Amino acid sequence: MTERAPRVAPSVLVGIGSFAAVGTYTLIDSIGLGLWTSLGPGPGLFPFAMGVLLVAMSALWLIQELRSPSEAAAVVDRRLVIEVVVSLVILAAVMDLLGFQLSMFFFLLYHLKLRGRRSWVSSLIIAVAGSFGAFYAFNYGLNVALPVSAIPLLNTIGL
Amino acid sequence: MSRTRIAAAFAVASLIALTGCGANAGAGNNAADDFPRKGKTIDLVVAFSSGGAVDTAARLIQPILEEELGTNVEVINKPGAGGQIGYTQLTSAAPDGYTIGATGSPSVVVSPLDPSRGAKYTRDSFQPLGRQVIDPTVIAVQPDSQYQTLKDLLDAAKANPKSMTASTTGLQTGEHFALAQTQETTGAEFAPVHFSEGASQATTAFLGKHVDVLVANVSDVTDLTKQGKARVLGVMSDERAPSLPDVPTFKESGYDLVAGTARGYSAPAGLPDAVAKKLEAAIQKAIEDPAVVKKMEDLGLQTSYLSAADYKQFWANQEEDFKKVLPLVTKTD
Amino acid sequence: MDIFNDLLGGFAAAMTWQNLLFAFLGCLLGTIIGVLPGIGPVAGVALLIPLTLNMDATGAIIMLCAIFYGTAYGGTITSVLLNTPGEAASAITTIDGYAMTKIGKAGAALTIAAVGSFVGGTIATIGLVAAAKPLGELGLLVGPPEFFALMVVGISLLVALAGKSMVKAVISGALGLLIAMVGIDPVAGAPRFTFGMDRLLDGVSFVAVIVGVFGLSELLSYRKDTATANVHAPNFRSLLPTGKEWRRSAPAMARGTGIGFGLGLIPGMTGSVSSLLAYGAEKKFSRHRNELGKGAIEGVAGPETANNSHANAALIPLFTLGIPASPTIAVLMGAFLQQGLTPGPTLFTENSEIAWAIIASLFIGNLLLLVLNVPLVGLWTSILRVPSSILTALILLFMVIGAYTINFSVFDVFVMIGFGLLGLALRHLDIPLAPMVLTLVLGPLMERSLRESLEISQGDFGIFVNRPISMVLIGLGLLILFSPLLKLRKPRALTEDPET
Repeated sequence: MTERAPRVAPSVLVGIGSFAAVGTYTLIDSIGLGLWTSLGPGPGLFPFAMGVLLVAMSALWLIQELRSPSEAAAVVDRRLVIEVVVSLVILAAVMDLLGFQLSMFFFLLYHLKLRGRRSWVSSLIIAVAGSFGAFYAFNYGLNVALPVSAIPLLNTIGL
Repeated sequence: MSRTRIAAAFAVASLIALTGCGANAGAGNNAADDFPRKGKTIDLVVAFSSGGAVDTAARLIQPILEEELGTNVEVINKPGAGGQIGYTQLTSAAPDGYTIGATGSPSVVVSPLDPSRGAKYTRDSFQPLGRQVIDPTVIAVQPDSQYQTLKDLLDAAKANPKSMTASTTGLQTGEHFALAQTQETTGAEFAPVHFSEGASQATTAFLGKHVDVLVANVSDVTDLTKQGKARVLGVMSDERAPSLPDVPTFKESGYDLVAGTARGYSAPAGLPDAVAKKLEAAIQKAIEDPAVVKKMEDLGLQTSYLSAADYKQFWANQEEDFKKVLPLVTKTD
Repeated sequence: MDIFNDLLGGFAAAMTWQNLLFAFLGCLLGTIIGVLPGIGPVAGVALLIPLTLNMDATGAIIMLCAIFYGTAYGGTITSVLLNTPGEAASAITTIDGYAMTKIGKAGAALTIAAVGSFVGGTIATIGLVAAAKPLGELGLLVGPPEFFALMVVGISLLVALAGKSMVKAVISGALGLLIAMVGIDPVAGAPRFTFGMDRLLDGVSFVAVIVGVFGLSELLSYRKDTATANVHAPNFRSLLPTGKEWRRSAPAMARGTGIGFGLGLIPGMTGSVSSLLAYGAEKKFSRHRNELGKGAIEGVAGPETANNSHANAALIPLFTLGIPASPTIAVLMGAFLQQGLTPGPTLFTENSEIAWAIIASLFIGNLLLLVLNVPLVGLWTSILRVPSSILTALILLFMVIGAYTINFSVFDVFVMIGFGLLGLALRHLDIPLAPMVLTLVLGPLMERSLRESLEISQGDFGIFVNRPISMVLIGLGLLILFSPLLKLRKPRALTEDPET
């Protein structure tokens, strides 16, 4: 048993608040969609029920938290989260432009060499296999087309 | 030191990339001439779930399309919202010939006409490729039902409006129109239950006796009749359906009512001419293939091919016709 | 002997070399996913769906089923050798499995686990064969109101079992339903919650959401202490259990099969519930119960048989009623739908050949797993020696490819990233993820059956209590949901369910 925290953790409050907000939004939006029409149950009926449920549960949770705040959750490795998410966002942003092979090659290199501190040899082998290799395996082996570059110069050399 | 290694790595990488460029270069250019590119799959979007007549017909022509076009053709089911979900996917695909779809009226004709559906397409978003069949609407009851004739059923529904439930394949689909038109011409009112994924869901619910009346197409009930699982009371066509010779038409029973579903194939609008020609020819060949026609007949489907241009005209006429009856099936509040 | 003929036909279809290869590859990949800590079966199956996009329906489903029950076995290996379960259904095996490793009996533990998995899986599949047709016909009784009620029961059970707080579980379930509602309304056609984005008309991509919420968020919540393991594969000779160990395992396997099969049929039960209860049963009924915890073979045989029996039995409600019993099955169902197969009573009438081919391949797959796993233990353990940075990079690679290839659009990669962050937030708030996956798949089905029911009754909500089957089911659902208020304690074994 850990000792009881004196008050509700801010992150929990933010969570409860955002669930309640999503629920309220759904509630309002689904009324606009129409709960019931002359043709029967409308498109808004089910989302409306979900909105009510979400708001009600957030309220219940808040009451529970006020009575006995939950133990602080484990901290996340913020650096890891930022590094992975930012690199993924950049990858997704440039993939259509540079094509799968180049963008994935640099992405893997970043994760293997810069973050993972693997040796150059193993980093390069894996990065090449995971980018160029995967492209060919998917394109020709599985008939699943991964994106090619939108830049004409790169496109013509097969990237 | 490490810089030279990076450079070396790049050299290796670009070399590997170059080896394959021959196979890949120029992809996307001159799409029309080399259409269809071998190994590139053509998706045939079916806007209803598997097992229904639309799906069955698409799967029948699929192998012949493959043969004619020399590449894979894959039937993809995108059911929901009485066809609208599949039609949305079809019309938002690139008009390169690699996405075609089965289109059935009235669903495809009507869904863009009702603003409350918020459809993202209009008639002009489709490029018709050819019509395959017309499938008349029928009305059927449980085999142990007390209603022996169409008149019995309709009189009962008139005496007690909404006392019986009737299936449709979704809001504003052919069956829904047929119900509305029945009410208009005969005064018989049923409570519609919309099985928006397609005919197989409606039929399953009917077999489980969860709905009283099955409103469907001839093809849906041909087998059920043979197995004695449904009693068809009337066909909404000018002449009796060959697969249901004992079932009178609505006209014979004294009701002036003709309704049905017309099905064909379309692509997103804007196909290059050469691509359209190839697809139209392949589809005509597949639809008119004697083996396909025979199998369709076995299912109770009468092939009635129309070329792309004629199908387009037919579509436009249907739009005019359905505009008139649309108020019957739109919500009033 | 209609069933027998159907099954033979299924075997003929499953025995083509392509389908055998798919089953083999599926077992292989499934075992790897099971071995790798971090990717559970849910994200694993979702990740590999893109691989099967261009396969024919039979091959694709055979492979995904093989992956699915392959994970059930793979998780055992790390439980026994490393004391860390590769997936939740094997968590309880760590107790006696790892104890056996410490006394040098790792090989016997792994072999017994493989044989138990085979026995449980095969018997459950026989059950599937026997139950398929009759249950399929019974399926006609299940109209829209009953279907809705069944899903309510499944979701309530999962919600009741998930985590410590039922409130949080309900939030998770409601979120899943809301996400499922994005796109064109499946009945009336009106766009909902698309925020004007045409991309969202077809809904949020299921695979991207699952890969994000389960896969990416797991990866993001790694701690630094996940060091590379130092494991040694047991040598070949030690793989053979002694006669005494066989004799002691047999009754445990029998109990495990029964428990797994029974619980697998109930929507909302996860495989880990089965293995926990099977362990509990050994504690109560085994003749060697006081040895449990110190490396008793029963503590491996019981749970491992139960979770595989469960995994295969859980396919029965999917095949016959179209209702996924657990999160993993829900993902599998997503794959069925993507292949144009609608699981449910119509599966055996409309796609009978495919259905029987898949069932036949379950037998083949279970056999493959047995012959594959025992001799290849060395290979599996070597995967664990791959440095985590390389694994992370490769897993990220597969996630990006997986998300991209669903619609061939970068948009889904962003969706995956977004839902990865959402998943991380939910984990941080201690909100269980399992109810969300289930409702994500069930959402459209639930909404449709609710609206169909109300159309049948013309607006009368009484339809759910006027019909006997749905009345009983709804009553059951409510009882489950309100059990905390009635002070009905859930069995202690269930509160420790690690899968949730």
